[in-house]
Amino acid sequence: MNKIADDFSSENIGSFFIYTNEAHPGENYPHLTSIGQKVTHAKALRDILGVKRPILLDVLDGPCHRYFGSMPNMTWIFNRSGIPVYKSDWTDANSVRNSLEYLLDVVKRRKAGVRLAPFTVERLDYRESDRVAFYKRLAENGPKAVEEFRKAFGE
Amino acid sequence: MTDFYNYDEFIPEKFEQWLRFDQSPALGKKIENFSLWDLDGNKTSLVDILDQSQFTVVEFGSFT
Repeated sequence: MNKIADDFSSENIGSFFIYTNEAHPGENYPHLTSIGQKVTHAKALRDILGVKRPILLDVLDGPCHRYFGSMPNMTWIFNRSGIPVYKSDWTDANSVRNSLEYLLDVVKRRKAGVRLAPFTVERLDYRESDRVAFYKRLAENGPKAVEEFRKAFGE
Repeated sequence: MTDFYNYDEFIPEKFEQWLRFDQSPALGKKIENFSLWDLDGNKTSLVDILDQSQFTVVEFGSFT
């Protein structure tokens, strides 16, 4: 997602990250109980996991996150008027890139004088699912996070 | 609300109630605005950041 931000910035595409609740709290990164802790975790996301996009914080009980459906790692694309033009319940760089290329083509066609009307489409996209990498990442949160995930999904 | 949203255990009874993507705003409809803060504590808003670019990608997530 950092690369997408870099690749599309020259096309006047902004990229932000909104920090949410902890999806898999563990001993190293427990559930949030204060804004100060939320800031600390968000800085770890930037400094340890390398999120280079500007990170913004919702308040502690996450009204912005909850308004958009509270999924642990979702992505939305908005136009300048604050209208969502893409929403995905999971973040996948290929899906986002595909949508941005489509949206930029819409802009190009409109500039060329083509009259376009919006419509809604649903599509099932596919992301890579690397369980080894996922569990390795989960372990960084602490053993509790791994154990709870295994129990929740019977793995 | 704060305690429930920031659940302390990843168990279905605590996290499933928050997974409501099916109730999220519809595409093509204007959204509500929300206050947001950067990591230095400067206040902004969702509408303000969306107004900066022709399109804006917003990813939601956490360290964990």
